[in-house]
Amino acid sequence: MPSEVTDEDIVRRTLLDKEKFALLLERYEQKLARYLERLGVGIREDREDILQNAFIKAYKNLNSFDQTLTFSSWMYRITHNEAMSFFRSRRARPHITLGGESEMLITELRDENSDTSRVAELRLSREEIAKAFAALAPRQRDVLALRFFEDRSYAEMSDILEVPAGTVSTLLHRAKRALREALPESFSS
Amino acid sequence: MNIEPDYEKKDDHLARRILERIRGERIIPRWKFIFKNYFFWALGALATALGALAFSAALFEVQSVDWRFSSVTHTDFWAFFFAVMPFLWVGALALFIVVGYVNIRRTKHGYRYPLLAITLGAICISLALGTGLYATGLGREIEESIGDHPPFYRPIVIEERSWWLAPEKGLLGGRVVSSAPDSASFVLRDFDDHIWSVEENDLDNTSLAAVARGGVVRVIGVPTTATSSSFHACFVFSWEPRGGFFGEPAVPPAKVITASTSERSAAMPRSEVCRGIRPYQQLRHIDETGL
Repeated sequence: MPSEVTDEDIVRRTLLDKEKFALLLERYEQKLARYLERLGVGIREDREDILQNAFIKAYKNLNSFDQTLTFSSWMYRITHNEAMSFFRSRRARPHITLGGESEMLITELRDENSDTSRVAELRLSREEIAKAFAALAPRQRDVLALRFFEDRSYAEMSDILEVPAGTVSTLLHRAKRALREALPESFSS
Repeated sequence: MNIEPDYEKKDDHLARRILERIRGERIIPRWKFIFKNYFFWALGALATALGALAFSAALFEVQSVDWRFSSVTHTDFWAFFFAVMPFLWVGALALFIVVGYVNIRRTKHGYRYPLLAITLGAICISLALGTGLYATGLGREIEESIGDHPPFYRPIVIEERSWWLAPEKGLLGGRVVSSAPDSASFVLRDFDDHIWSVEENDLDNTSLAAVARGGVVRVIGVPTTATSSSFHACFVFSWEPRGGFFGEPAVPPAKVITASTSERSAAMPRSEVCRGIRPYQQLRHIDETGL
């Protein structure tokens, strides 16, 4: 598939031929499955159900796709909302398991810490980081996951979470502070 | 540009399942989303407009009460303030602003506007539009029509009149029925349709002018006896035009006083009955300056 074909092009083509939607599936299925895992949807079948609902919803609402956004942000928004509905309907708590993401988080926190060498010496296990991450408020986990795991800009996060850009910035700042506080004392001190 | 999906070849059950489902689904037409977006904008605008109407009624309410007499009709300023505060309309304004916010937030890009920006915007528009509507007289219309209906609510005009149906406290309000220049009293029909004979021996020129002008008046004085229908007036003020919170001096100078009332006023000795009226000095000030 030529790389210059944008998601937005595919959306336009899908409006004429629904089979073209498979291309969007191909591009986003794995990314979104990983995103759901990071949000705490631990069981694979649950992730697939959420993804299925999200893609069908996206397809049915293709005409509402706002061209001022990227398709990616729009698709993440739908998936995020579906995940939140899932947690609400099941009254389930997110099951956070972080792999390499835990190092990403620590790197981000470390970058803001003046005494980087000392932090590097700290041996925080993935479980400890995952536990601290899971202890955060859902909104705080959302912004950290989007920013550091999904590498989203503030504008994209604003579109995905449907909050003003200024709020994203505030949320992120608070989330980082809360994460530092939730980590073992040796890190935050 | 070749962009053929290859799911038929891949072993991807989820993608296949989704595609199967999609084949049976229809894309919602664009006009529905456009309509929905305009609908929420319209609801937001409508809520703001209703907020403006509520504000115009609130403004009318605050303006229609004569604030100069707060210390006469109430024990302290705050008692008066809470009595005239247009809670119904302020509540309605707040409700419409919330409704406006919720609807604007549900428009296509509504989430991009900060809460403060939407709320302040809706408040400013409601206040500006409401002030304009008040100036056209719509505030009064709303207060008098809609304000009559809630069972828990009494329009401020009626409420204010009730404050002046307290002869035992020295407050009487009503319409001057008859007033003869050479008489020492005038007849007043109060807001409950009771007829009063009001002695005017102690009235100065300004008060006499208010009586001579007729219409609805406020009388501050002393009941002659607890049971009779006669009242000793110490001050008389025209009810109209009203001197509201932002209002101009309500009582114009005594231009309409006749020669005969002036002569009589000067000739008659003042009694000491009115010395007990409180706040006497303040009432003298209002009487002399209209402020």
